[in-house]
Amino acid sequence: MLKKEQNDLLTQTGPGTPAGQLFRSYWLPALLASELADNDCPPVRVKLLSERLLAFRDSQGRLGLIDEFCAHRGVSLWFGRNEQNGLRCPYHGWKYDHTGQCVEVPSEPVESGFCKKVKLKSYPLVERGGVLWTYMGPPDKQPPLPEWEFALVPAEQSFMSKRIQESNWLQALEGGIDSSHVSFLHRGDLDSDPLFRGAKANQYNLRDSRPVFEVVESAGGLYIGARRDAENGNYYWRITQWVMPAFTMIPPRGNHPVHGHFWVPIDDENCWTWSFDYHPTRPLSQDELRAMREGKGIHVKYLPGTFRPFANKDNDYLIDRAAQKSGRTFSGVEGIAMQDASLQESMGPIVDRMKENLVSTDNGIIMARHRLLRAVKALMDKDMPPPGIDLAHQHVRSAAVVLPPDRPFMEAAKEALSVRAGVAHASV
Amino acid sequence: MLSESARATSAAEARFRIDDANSRPRAIKVIALDRPSEAVVKRLAQLPWASATFLTAVANVPRAGERFSVQGWLGDLAGHTKDLIGEIDSADLVVMVATGGENVQVASIIGEACSLKHVMTTALVLGATSISDAVLSQTLAQLRPWALMLVIASAEEYIADMLAALRA
Repeated sequence: MLKKEQNDLLTQTGPGTPAGQLFRSYWLPALLASELADNDCPPVRVKLLSERLLAFRDSQGRLGLIDEFCAHRGVSLWFGRNEQNGLRCPYHGWKYDHTGQCVEVPSEPVESGFCKKVKLKSYPLVERGGVLWTYMGPPDKQPPLPEWEFALVPAEQSFMSKRIQESNWLQALEGGIDSSHVSFLHRGDLDSDPLFRGAKANQYNLRDSRPVFEVVESAGGLYIGARRDAENGNYYWRITQWVMPAFTMIPPRGNHPVHGHFWVPIDDENCWTWSFDYHPTRPLSQDELRAMREGKGIHVKYLPGTFRPFANKDNDYLIDRAAQKSGRTFSGVEGIAMQDASLQESMGPIVDRMKENLVSTDNGIIMARHRLLRAVKALMDKDMPPPGIDLAHQHVRSAAVVLPPDRPFMEAAKEALSVRAGVAHASV
Repeated sequence: MLSESARATSAAEARFRIDDANSRPRAIKVIALDRPSEAVVKRLAQLPWASATFLTAVANVPRAGERFSVQGWLGDLAGHTKDLIGEIDSADLVVMVATGGENVQVASIIGEACSLKHVMTTALVLGATSISDAVLSQTLAQLRPWALMLVIASAEEYIADMLAALRA
């Protein structure tokens, strides 16, 4: 249960809100680099943290992320002409460069310098690891560029997708750190999905649907360890990483790529679910890439020309009651990503946490909220930078390991929980 | 025509979620396992709670080979003795509060009683950042067999937040 004012505090991320300021402390994934593939390509509408923006790549390849609307009459610059190092409004020809600076107002004499007085709000946009990242906070507090491992490995070792989720970001994030649902909701997929099947670990998962949990604070967020019995009195541990505010990394299975998410608010009732898969030491195979593009694993199939999942609320997620009854899928919804999203969206755009009844195994969620609230308070009261900005907090991995029963996982798996160049992730 | 899911998940429809209570209060017993934790539990007990009871097992660490009785084995914060089995019997959840590096052997007695009565257990460890991994391991080894959920928290305030989240 969360009080209404706490729920409001964490779920509202528009300009001027406390959690909005928290999000504006970080570099956030804004677009796939492929969305702005060429110089002078069509601009792309971007809505982030309840701000409507427009992204474009100018004639020199410079990236711009600016206020969507022309300062003159409020026309959407999505209709703009991307030409000769700027975006020209088609209505009266006002032109803006990649920083949002107006560089031409055709109706005014050039000598008047009027255009210099017009500048649209803009944010930096930089490419790293196939993603265009933005920072929407005060320029003097801009942190160093992100160093998540998936974004630093060679391009052939990494795959990224994104999808619209029609719910507030927090209920999506909370699904990402709720390890206890896997043995139920996703049980039909562990042995069939090409990006999960074949791992020895799946048998531990399926044999034991009541894992024991340990939640440990990390410098950047949380380790959430789920412990199941393995052979010879040992424990099989799955350790999920959460790094503030919205990065989660799921424990790997076998030699499959390791994966995770960012949950980024579009507005208070929608978010982007970013889904990455990468392998630290080898290129992804053609089979793996094909499976990811076809929406397997944590990815989805799309409605053509959009980032909206093909199975969505408008078609009742293509729920198949026969598959539910037979157990082929536990909920009747196909695919791991939409199994999660369908249930999280079913809660409504912003779930009322006053009505929930958390139990002891929800301590990962409780602790995440606690840390978010603490970070928001420290930022608002003391201007203290929140966890997750420090690059050391980003050099993390999830892990799946078998350990003797008397070893704390964060000690025994310390190395496995950090990025080690040239060393594969710890997996079973 | 709108699909069932599209209609039902709108903000407008969310207003019609039934507003009655959907659960009854849970009895949560919070038990300090060591002296520093007892001070924490005493501070927690000052806050307003609907269904939490605060207890201590600090005075009752049995010495090796010593016979002991569960009758009057626990204490409340005013110094009155409490029957372990009786307290566990009336609990929906037992939260054991421990301090990293302290001797928390008593967890086994409480844990065994909880196991007998099929009561869920959670252990919270404070003070872990100020001790070595090896010392923390010893504390965890004493707790782990008896805690179905184990949390290592950096701040005492977390316990209050957790209890509030659990509607204590």
